Amino acid sequence: MDFYLQQLPQQLVNGLTLGGVYALIAIGYTMVYGILSMLNFAHGEVYMIGGFAGWWVLHLLSRGNAPIIHASLVISLMLIVSMLVAGLLGISVERFAYRPLRRAPRMNLLLSALGVSIFLQNLVLHYQGAKARFFHVSSLIPEDIRVFQIGNVVFSFMRILVIVVAFLLMALLTVMVKKTKVGKAMRATAQDTEAATFMGIDVDRMIVLVFLIGSALGGIAGALVGLLFTQVDYYVGFQAGLKGFTAAVLGGVGNIFGAMIGGILLGLIESLATTFFPATYKDVVAFVILIIVLIFRPWGLMGEKIPEKV
Amino acid sequence: MEQGFISKELSKKHKVILYAAIGMILAVVPHLMPNNYWLRIYTMTGLFVMLALGLNVVAGFAGLLDLAYVAFFGIGGYIFAFLSSNHFDIHLPFLLVLPLSALITMGFGFALGATSLRLKGDYLAIVTLAFAQIFKLLLLNLDRPINITGGVNGIFDLDPIDLFGLKIVSPVIYSYLIWFFAILVILGSFRIKRSRFGRGWEAIREDELAAEAMGVNTTWMKLMAFAGGALIAGASGTLFASFQDSVFPNNFDFPQLVVIYCMVILGGLGNILGVVLGAILLSILPEFLREYGAYRMMSYGLILIVLMALRPQGILGEIGFLTKGKRRPDKDETGVLKTSTDLYYKEGDQVDRDGWKPKYKVGDRPILELRKITMNFGGLMAVNDLSLTLHEREILSIIGPNGAGKTTLFNLISGIYPPSSGNIFFKSSDITGLKPHQVVEAGICRTFQNLRLFNNMSVLDNAKVSQFSRTRSGPLSILFQLPRHKKEEMETEKVAKEMLSLFGTRLTGYRFGQKAIFLSYANRRRLEIARAMSTNAKLLMLDEPSAGMNPQETIEITSFIKRLRDHYGYTILVIEHKLNVVKTISDRVIALDYGVKIAEGIYDEVANNRQVIEAYLGRKRN
Repeated sequence: MDFYLQQLPQQLVNGLTLGGVYALIAIGYTMVYGILSMLNFAHGEVYMIGGFAGWWVLHLLSRGNAPIIHASLVISLMLIVSMLVAGLLGISVERFAYRPLRRAPRMNLLLSALGVSIFLQNLVLHYQGAKARFFHVSSLIPEDIRVFQIGNVVFSFMRILVIVVAFLLMALLTVMVKKTKVGKAMRATAQDTEAATFMGIDVDRMIVLVFLIGSALGGIAGALVGLLFTQVDYYVGFQAGLKGFTAAVLGGVGNIFGAMIGGILLGLIESLATTFFPATYKDVVAFVILIIVLIFRPWGLMGEKIPEKV
Repeated sequence: MEQGFISKELSKKHKVILYAAIGMILAVVPHLMPNNYWLRIYTMTGLFVMLALGLNVVAGFAGLLDLAYVAFFGIGGYIFAFLSSNHFDIHLPFLLVLPLSALITMGFGFALGATSLRLKGDYLAIVTLAFAQIFKLLLLNLDRPINITGGVNGIFDLDPIDLFGLKIVSPVIYSYLIWFFAILVILGSFRIKRSRFGRGWEAIREDELAAEAMGVNTTWMKLMAFAGGALIAGASGTLFASFQDSVFPNNFDFPQLVVIYCMVILGGLGNILGVVLGAILLSILPEFLREYGAYRMMSYGLILIVLMALRPQGILGEIGFLTKGKRRPDKDETGVLKTSTDLYYKEGDQVDRDGWKPKYKVGDRPILELRKITMNFGGLMAVNDLSLTLHEREILSIIGPNGAGKTTLFNLISGIYPPSSGNIFFKSSDITGLKPHQVVEAGICRTFQNLRLFNNMSVLDNAKVSQFSRTRSGPLSILFQLPRHKKEEMETEKVAKEMLSLFGTRLTGYRFGQKAIFLSYANRRRLEIARAMSTNAKLLMLDEPSAGMNPQETIEITSFIKRLRDHYGYTILVIEHKLNVVKTISDRVIALDYGVKIAEGIYDEVANNRQVIEAYLGRKRN
């Protein structure tokens, strides 16, 4: 037991990092679900492509394994480009695969999303190959701050970066949704699309905006994970997407704030689970949680039976 | 759709010829294959036909988006590997393992169905996907601490199939074996689709609540869909494991599932011939893309996207020349346009002419009794302490302003919600808390205010669904076409046609085969009633039967309702806003307001009741 207690603070830090990433992914699911009531299967792929975008920026700005411009600039560019690429990808997916099906049965929409997911995954497989791409991040960060220790908890620069960026973006999004006019329009559209139209809100634009923001957050999550675990391959989107969705469900699908909490919770649960189970079963734990929550509390842990959407 | 041209019109003789032709083709084709590579593809095609048809049961017939389907395929494969190899040193004969693994897999399907039954659409998809992922992770990781699944390396060197001493090893024999089962599955699919099961599933896919309210045991039927799909997947898995002589986790992964989904969707969900064609196309065509690697899977993704946008019904759905016998609804047999007055007045209004005497009158015995029924929606009392008695063959109208709790009352009686308190008795037995399909079985059926027909099913099938609770044939009697099933099918058809013909020619003749969605509004209202009557109900609950009808149609439906009692002896509970209708048909009227009964009696009493007038028009200021 002592061993576990000693491990606890470290697992909390790890969990918080992972949780920040899951929360960013979950927001994309939950926003789209809130407004279109559809499960965007392709969101995991958007995350994966965000990761690749980050890798390409790093690759192009490096000679050998060293960056050609200042490291902070490289990292910022990686994050911004991954958001842009993912955001644009999200919008195009909406335009070509989902918009034609706006009035179709839900099952058709879901199958189309499945198609997009498979298509994007294999597109990347074709052009980037099956082998994982490595992020040579060691040269980006001076050795003295790369890893440091407080008490018996090991921190790394990247972990802190991930936590800071994730929480900053979530705070920004919260302000946007709660305080701005656009945020209000978005919430209105999520509650009742038709009524929102009658009140003069351009619903199509809101949907595009939701895909833009959600996908951008998914994309940056991909880049952050790349920096953190230093690799990306064409298949990471599938698992990450499922995790993100689990997080969204934990918090109550459609509820942005819930997605954030759900993500962090899932991250914590997973890291704690690795102290008790072999690491290979950590995914099994996440999926079992997903199944249990969906069956017994499909409206989420925190949400009410009818969750506040967006 | 395919029923029209495949089976009904084929005589026995034609059937024999068809079977012989198929048999010949299957016997010859393996020998025509240029090499073993193509022979293997041919055999795998048969396997994919099976797999796609199994998925078609769950996703196509019942409309359940089951993403764990590929796991059942895997379970079947691994069971064979466990029970028929050196892995655990168990060597059961194939003829025992095949049914055993199919049945065990079916058990898993049943279990998955039971856990995820409450979920719909996206949630069902994601839960089943999570199950599939757990299955794959277990396959990959259960080689330690004790080696169960063989991990990434899988299990190989399985026992060869031994059929009564004849060892099956040659690829040609394998192709015969697998295509033999594929043909069985095709045949079974056709039989099940044309049965009470097929109609029940289709009804669930169209409108689950309406299906339940017409007597379909939706919970059971969904479980049967999961189990049926798993059974076929399990058998396919076993055949596949034996054919490949090994099993690996990768054989049963997500891309495989996508391929099978593409086959089903390309063919059209629920369309058997389409799915077979889809499976054949997608097994063979991608071979030509083999050199292009990832393009193959990319093309599957594109197929899904493009099909969903342009042809969600699949390649074979509703192609004109294949669905023969389908006539333009607005033309008669000779192709001459019908005028709308023909449709309305041809039958005329013969009911109240000639002074015929009513056969039935109100009886004395109570048939339905509500005792102190309350329905509390989180503080809102939709129905409050309501008691009422309905006598045999009585027509009782319920009136009241919007939000008075009329439709809630119907929902309570028909079992859609259980009441918060109080009891409901039908023919002196307590039916409180029964599920809607059980209420139908007891003899009560309803119509819906907002029309909830099975829009994409034919008029005749809409009515046939209602016989679900009156028939008992199980999957075995359907698959083997036992006399019981045949008898029940004839009875079902007879009842459905009889009920539809009560509305003159409006729902009969060429209309039998017409989709419900193409009917006129008034005809859809009529079909709602005919469908409810086809459940052999004694008590009909009609929710605003004349809503949206024009004056002529209203007069007609009014006398029709009266005739239902006078002529056929139904007991009728009706919600109606048009007071002319209420006045003409009612033996008694009940007025509700805010869930409370404010007046009861014959029409004139209720209509002149002060409280009723206030409820409709408001109170006078003093």
